Amino acid sequence: MEVRTVLCVAEKPSIAKAIANHLGDQVTTVSTDARNPPVELMDVQHNIQGNPYVKNYEFDYTFPQWGHCSVTMTSVLGHLLSHEFEPRYKSWTSCDPSALFDARIEVFVGSNRKPIADNIKRHARRADVLYIWTDCDREGEHIGTEIRSVAAQSNQALGRAGGTVRAHFSNIERAHIIHAAHHPTDLDEGQADAVASRIELDLRVGASFTRHLTLSLCPVLQRGNLSEASQLISYGSCQFPTLGFIVERYLRVRNFIPEPFWSIKLMHRKAGTRVNFSWARKHLFDRMIVVILYEWCLTSQNAQVQKVKTTPTSKWKPLPLTTLELQKCGSRFLGMDSQKVLQLAEKLYQKGWISYPRTETDQFDQGTDLRGLIQKQAQGGRWADYATALVEGGFSWPRNGRNNDKAHPPIHPVNFVNPTTLSHEEQRVHEFVVRRFLACCSKDAQGSKTDISILYGPETFNVSGLVILERNYLDVYVYDRWDNQELPPFIEGEVFEPTEAILSEGKTSPPGYLTEPDLLALMNANGIGTDATMADHIVTIIDRQYVEARAQPRQARHGNDEEESEELPAQARVGNGRRGRTAVARRRGGRNSGAGRGGAITGVREFIPTTLGVALVEGHENMGFETNLTKPFLRKEMELKMNAICDGQTTKARVVNETIEQYRGVYARMQQHPGVLCTAVRKYVFGKVN
Amino acid sequence: MANNLIAELTQHLNSRHLYPTTQWLQSFTGTIRPNTPLPALKQTALFRLLAADITTALSQPANGLFPTDILKATNQSRPLVGPVVCQVLDIEDIGHSKWSQVEAIEARERGETTKGREVIRVVPGEDGNPIEEPPQSRGPFKLLLQDAKGLKVYAYDLNGIEGLNASMNMGTKLLLRNCDVRRGVIMLEPGFVQILGGKIEALDKMWKDGRKDRLIAAAKAEGNDGA
Repeated sequence: MEVRTVLCVAEKPSIAKAIANHLGDQVTTVSTDARNPPVELMDVQHNIQGNPYVKNYEFDYTFPQWGHCSVTMTSVLGHLLSHEFEPRYKSWTSCDPSALFDARIEVFVGSNRKPIADNIKRHARRADVLYIWTDCDREGEHIGTEIRSVAAQSNQALGRAGGTVRAHFSNIERAHIIHAAHHPTDLDEGQADAVASRIELDLRVGASFTRHLTLSLCPVLQRGNLSEASQLISYGSCQFPTLGFIVERYLRVRNFIPEPFWSIKLMHRKAGTRVNFSWARKHLFDRMIVVILYEWCLTSQNAQVQKVKTTPTSKWKPLPLTTLELQKCGSRFLGMDSQKVLQLAEKLYQKGWISYPRTETDQFDQGTDLRGLIQKQAQGGRWADYATALVEGGFSWPRNGRNNDKAHPPIHPVNFVNPTTLSHEEQRVHEFVVRRFLACCSKDAQGSKTDISILYGPETFNVSGLVILERNYLDVYVYDRWDNQELPPFIEGEVFEPTEAILSEGKTSPPGYLTEPDLLALMNANGIGTDATMADHIVTIIDRQYVEARAQPRQARHGNDEEESEELPAQARVGNGRRGRTAVARRRGGRNSGAGRGGAITGVREFIPTTLGVALVEGHENMGFETNLTKPFLRKEMELKMNAICDGQTTKARVVNETIEQYRGVYARMQQHPGVLCTAVRKYVFGKVN
Repeated sequence: MANNLIAELTQHLNSRHLYPTTQWLQSFTGTIRPNTPLPALKQTALFRLLAADITTALSQPANGLFPTDILKATNQSRPLVGPVVCQVLDIEDIGHSKWSQVEAIEARERGETTKGREVIRVVPGEDGNPIEEPPQSRGPFKLLLQDAKGLKVYAYDLNGIEGLNASMNMGTKLLLRNCDVRRGVIMLEPGFVQILGGKIEALDKMWKDGRKDRLIAAAKAEGNDGA
């Protein structure tokens, strides 16, 4: 087939512009209408009718695979098509919510997308090939199929085999784009189908359960004089499990009972240094036993050094950067919430400074020219000297993580940009990405560790010293800490009388409320959402007023010995006889470490459920079936099935059917326990216990 | 014939430092089937004795019991020569808070370890090392022991003796020799403690069933005392 005319469509105007600038370098004069004087442009560009954001770029380009072509480059604004139920199902009272499991769904071009669709159809008529340049992830694949279906309406050939091709790119750097242009592939139907199933399932399940929940709880909520808007109880298959995690932690904190513990603190002064030994048992929860052991130590009078071992030790440089890591670090180190970090990273990507920020890959492909990328960063910025030194000698290949989504590399800087051209917030994210990348390519920090173990009475005490020999990556990655720990010399067999041995008491304290990094990690580990969507789910449950976010008070998070080490085991019980807060409006339920204590904040966000959020989770718990909507199983299974569609192991039809059957079962069971949710809401939102 | 049998059994059990009462022996011999070979009878007798409550089944000589002044707290340290036979009435993990033990039990109850219904709650630490959740706590443990006269004494497992842990059977019999008793608490060390085995069925069942509730009650009690 002869290709003379190519229509390229990107996902966003900024990407279209960048690609057009790279590919189109032929000067063309154009005279537009009378109001604008003729201008010489790198390429012809004009706005499309009906939408101020989308532009068409026209230029000629010689593709190795097709020869000399005339190219039109344009874009969409995300999804083109909308999905809705037939009009007769629109009204909430028109049918039983469960009818939506089978109701017909209409797919059409949304009214605000019409100009964009028309633009595509117009240019598709003359095109020999449709070249898709949407972002390379599942959503992008699906949008590509939407574009194809619209284009095929005016030119059927584009919908047939070979009529549409797809570009693969991970950043918008020039050489990379040109390479992508020369190597088209096909759209991945599996990924597109996975997204299509997700869209259908989210619509059917989301709408039916939202209607059911709202209608059931409406009578209860109306009595509380709550505003109209807050009477909508929406359901989403990712939101509820996310809420579930937050409520669970909240209940654990609320039901926590502090317990006293005792420990022996040993200090010895040697060579002018105070050496604090830590007890091998850490602490015990029985005073009598600790007193006996303490007395035993004291009557032994002397301690003897059992073991002195000096070994080299290192602190590992960080792994290459994934989206999840970026969000966690953004929260911890930059004090930014996950959605904002992702938005800023997206902007940096669109401007061409960093690679595609939605990736799960934490290993660099062997062929990547890392030295070249480092060299670019030597041009300026606070890290310029470090980058130079790295190329000249300190370079070390990055560690390999365990993940590779095969679509995009880890997030890394692609070009040099003068930080002053970026907004303040963009600078902070950009700086983090650069420092992280340079750290990945550095050597691990090296040190020498001395572990000393002594026997005092029947008990063993330990202390560790550290001398840092080479800081290496720590010099550029300012977010990690490693501190020297001085120790005077001890010899094996040495006997001494400890300066001070004290019996001390402490108390366990509750875990903190769930922080954003920890929530993201839990969602990831349990398969809720993808790296791209997790931040959105968090935003949604805040909008729906199921949870509130606040800055974590500094006292809430400690690392010292007195605190119980935090693991995250089981579901907490709701304490007997503890009622929810009596409240007319929704109030936060937590009472622990409020802002009144000290007041310093860490910049990390933590989440506290509202009374409504707690009510929803408890209500579902009390319905007591395995497929509890607030537990992650259902969504995790759905995500696994999405993956299976991508791998070609199953089809969209099968997945949609199976999942709908599951939810139909849940729906039926919910209908058998109508009062349970209402009771829970009454209890928590209005404080009435039946 | 019967006397000979009783003598044989008595000698067998005594060699293991167990001194059953005459009532126990008689009720035991009343249950055996004739023509059972002697070695089998000896085994069965031992097994049944270990499954009994020693306060009714045993009549120990003085050195097979706790000294009557063992609980005197003014003794900083005194020896327990033995060999003393005692049974375990209770065991406590004093290395972990009661609340964390309750949470661990609840996690198992929820079956959150069953395949397909897993909820991952422990996420690998920041340095990539997975947080270790030992399937069995290694304590240390404090035990409550009782001798054949019914005297109860606390004991502390200093260094971790194989077989003494929270999943052991209540009513297990121990043999103690040359132990150190500090302030009324027996210090248990490997080499001086022999686990004879056995259990007391009713006690064990009650202990296991009520464990979670006892832990919760104890945590609450401690939380409210001088908190």
